[in-house]
Amino acid sequence: MSANGKWEAVIGLEVHCQVRTATKMFCGCANQYGDAPNTHVCPVCLGLPGSLPVPNEEAIRKTILTGFMLGCQIAPVARFDRKNYFYPDMPKNYQISQYDDPLCAGGSVGLDPFQFPKELQETEEAQARRKIRLVRIHLEEDVAKSFHFEERSGIDFNRAGTPLMEIVTEADLRTPGEAFAFLGSLRQILWAGGVSDADMEKGQLRCDVNISVRPAGESKFGTKVELKNLNSISGVRRALVHEIARQIAVVEKGGSLVQETRRWDDNAGATFTMRTKEQAHDYRYFPDPDLLPVRTDRGLQEAAKKSVPELPSEMQARLVKDFGVTAYQASVLACDRVLCGFYEKAAAATKNKAAVANWILNDFLSTQPDPATTPVKPEYFAELADLVTAGKINSAQGKKVFAELVANPSSPHEIVKKMGLEQISDTGALAAMCEEAIAANPRSVEDYRAGKMNAINALKGFVMKKSQGKANPVQIDEILKQKLGG
Amino acid sequence: MSAPKLNVSDVATLARLALTKEETEKFTAQLGQVLAHMEALAKIPTENVPEVHPPDHPVLRKDVPSPSLPVEIALSNAPAQANDLIVVPKIVE
Amino acid sequence: MSLAHETVASLRRRLAKKEIKSRDIVTDLLKEIDAREKTIHAYTQVDRESALKAADLADVSLPLGGIPIALKDNLNATGDPCTCSSKILEGYKAPYDATAVARLRQAGAVFLGRTNMDEFAMGSSTENSALGVTRNPWDSSRIPGGSSGGSAAAVAGRIALAALGSDTGGSIRQPAALCGCVGLKPTYGRISRYGLVAFASSLDQIGPLTRTVEDSALLLSSLAGHDPRDNTTDPRPPETFLSKPTNSVKGLKVGLPKEYFIPGMDGETEQAVRAAADWLQKNGAEIKEVSLPLTPSAIAVYYILATAEASANLARFDGVRYGRRAADPRDVLDLYQRTREEGFGPEVKRRIILGTFVLSAGYTDAYYRKAQKVRGLIRQDFEKAFQGCDLLLTPTSPEPAFKLGERTQDPLKMYLADVFTISVNLAGTCGISLPCGFTQSNLPIGLQLIGPRFGEEKMLQAAHTYEQSHDFWKRMPPL
Repeated sequence: MSANGKWEAVIGLEVHCQVRTATKMFCGCANQYGDAPNTHVCPVCLGLPGSLPVPNEEAIRKTILTGFMLGCQIAPVARFDRKNYFYPDMPKNYQISQYDDPLCAGGSVGLDPFQFPKELQETEEAQARRKIRLVRIHLEEDVAKSFHFEERSGIDFNRAGTPLMEIVTEADLRTPGEAFAFLGSLRQILWAGGVSDADMEKGQLRCDVNISVRPAGESKFGTKVELKNLNSISGVRRALVHEIARQIAVVEKGGSLVQETRRWDDNAGATFTMRTKEQAHDYRYFPDPDLLPVRTDRGLQEAAKKSVPELPSEMQARLVKDFGVTAYQASVLACDRVLCGFYEKAAAATKNKAAVANWILNDFLSTQPDPATTPVKPEYFAELADLVTAGKINSAQGKKVFAELVANPSSPHEIVKKMGLEQISDTGALAAMCEEAIAANPRSVEDYRAGKMNAINALKGFVMKKSQGKANPVQIDEILKQKLGG
Repeated sequence: MSAPKLNVSDVATLARLALTKEETEKFTAQLGQVLAHMEALAKIPTENVPEVHPPDHPVLRKDVPSPSLPVEIALSNAPAQANDLIVVPKIVE
Repeated sequence: MSLAHETVASLRRRLAKKEIKSRDIVTDLLKEIDAREKTIHAYTQVDRESALKAADLADVSLPLGGIPIALKDNLNATGDPCTCSSKILEGYKAPYDATAVARLRQAGAVFLGRTNMDEFAMGSSTENSALGVTRNPWDSSRIPGGSSGGSAAAVAGRIALAALGSDTGGSIRQPAALCGCVGLKPTYGRISRYGLVAFASSLDQIGPLTRTVEDSALLLSSLAGHDPRDNTTDPRPPETFLSKPTNSVKGLKVGLPKEYFIPGMDGETEQAVRAAADWLQKNGAEIKEVSLPLTPSAIAVYYILATAEASANLARFDGVRYGRRAADPRDVLDLYQRTREEGFGPEVKRRIILGTFVLSAGYTDAYYRKAQKVRGLIRQDFEKAFQGCDLLLTPTSPEPAFKLGERTQDPLKMYLADVFTISVNLAGTCGISLPCGFTQSNLPIGLQLIGPRFGEEKMLQAAHTYEQSHDFWKRMPPL
């Protein structure tokens, strides 16, 4: 909704996501990023005369898995079509894709509040956890990569033919914030399934946006503009903010928008016309005669079903319910399955599951550990939490133990012994120290008895110093108060 | 399917062929005849065409790498190359 | 007698007995090439040195060991050009072997050279070659047929023992008929298309052109079989064809489709094919009239589907990664348009235009999708016919070889010449053409036997029996 509430943005996304496989979609060349140019090519992905495609089973399985994770219907028969157009990054000048019979149809992506930009996470919009409907998911081959120089361009075909999943949403999104959250939420799910690394900066996740505006409450769609060249999730948000404002400015003045494709320029902070509807491609789709239809209900669907993981939303709900962590903590854990596994192991060893979460997420994470290889065992955090809760050490001592735990990993019990940090809880010993404190601080005693409650802190401080920080702060507070007669 | 509107010029653009004016005229006449011959298809009833079933045998490839072409061979037919990239005139979006 | 006049089978026997060496065969063939290739122009290249070298290294214990074979110039063979008789593939050197080529290599064959064709296999006369025409060895003023005209003329002209061709709408069978040799189009899915430069992916098949049916079976046995690189190949286990000739047609049910014997067809052709039918009947076969009612629509269906697929298959020829590139392109669009305009001949351009049109927005339903549906009905026609017959018998070509230049200005007339062969590709079944007579002017006439899908064995048996009971296969063109 625009600031004056008069206009509403209607947004749909087309997300292309590289599928993580060992080989390309239609040939056995390695699906590898970052190697020397044209070192992963063969007659098939170079489009040499006479070459033929053969589909990658794993890419299809992972696409079906994605369909299951997103609640789609899986087509019992998968078919491939040729999408015909000329471009130098196209080895055959047609792309093998899916048109009439995509692998997956329908489904949805729930917007995770913690995937909204930080400043929007507490808003009604984020908390609404809207479900964004999908139209379809299909599988296709990626194009080559071009590099542009002053007067020429150079093409590297390593990327040509790598498997690409195209996820198309309904025009359900209403704000740039939602689009931002959609991409983040989708990425979490893709990571959970091991389907893709989905790094936008590496080109593993690419996004085109369809955006139109209409008067608030209107059900008819306005003129649709397609945006391209969005290279990061925050770039998508910036582009949408700009484009929505541009469109509203036009229609508010009574002008009309052109149905076109516009290019986002992040440096200029604006969109520019790329091509109009008249210049749009005629893709002349037809079924690829080189590829036989693939039955997905003869084992592919079962294989995919077996690897459906716990979804981020399910995991978050479970962590809050079973472990008592906060929603925010649950979202952090759900982002990193290895970290979460580490946490769950720690939490299994103690009743103080929320305290363990605090230690791991607040303290441990800031040391930038690698939870997969760290010598700090998860069980240590359970011990640490138990020690503090049982009063064997106080929280200040706990921090000391933690620091030592990270520097020289060993069981907290041992560390406490080694450092001589056992909290003194012996009433007699504490009483003696309290009497000393009272004797040594007559001014504070007077002040306290005169009504200045905070004066007790100097006495407490004296005891803590005397005890080298080992005195149980709760007990000395009680004892002092008793002796001071307050 | 009456009098198909074959605009040879427009189709040639789609097919990236820079036809001469002569060719465009000649092809328009020749292909016009061919298309006229195809008119008869419209009259054939096709409501009950048997469906083609997908095959039962496995047709997919296991995700196991096989050797790629050495880069010199991959580029050996390229009309223009530099730094192991295939070179074309500057691509403008 | 020159070894070049013998058959593959007989030479194999002599090689096995060590009566002759592979080099002797190659040498004799090269002599014949020197004598007649200038007139016939069947070859785009002859590999003298490498053929002799390969002959010396040949392992004659292999099924085709030591046998020289010519390849149609649209089959990739490592290190060789693969021109498809087109300017646009000038300079291209194949970095890989087509599976069919690799299998012949594995079977011990020696490669003699590459044969001329209609550009990108588009044509029925080999007049669409950018590398010059090929002439019919029986009458050098006439076409050899197409698109595998070079292969057929070489085999018939005794300047090749055997050759590979490709057949999309009759391009092996029709030139075989016009040149008086044997041409086999296997069932779609029999032989891998990996490495065959694609014309129409759902119709193309590689096949042998040979002097005899026995030779054809020999080559088919080495070529056929599943290939993981070609998704459309059939997974059935390998077969050896014609290993036990029955030499009998007793009890064979042979159908004559009435739509293939139309009034006004060439009289001598009809006569020769009916004589073959009579012979079959006399020798115990049952001849019945059948109907393939959709025959008249086959040309339209073919020219919609084949050109549509071709328009996409030929899009890759753009001057970017291989082949000829237009000089000094201003920009990418200019590179594409001029490379393709300069590189493709008129027939190829015509078919690309037609194919692009029938797929284009607003027309694809009426043309492409409609043709697909009618194709399904044509397939059904054949299945029905084979319910009551083992094989079908038809003429291969409606007429014998016409004169060079006669049809080049009339594409539609040229297309209509494919009428008897085209439906077999649409239905995906197998077909073989073999000599069944000669015209008054000594031009070959071919009959076509059509088998059901994967029915090659029965088809080869019948063809072999008929062939060996007649002398047509022995007749040689003026050498």
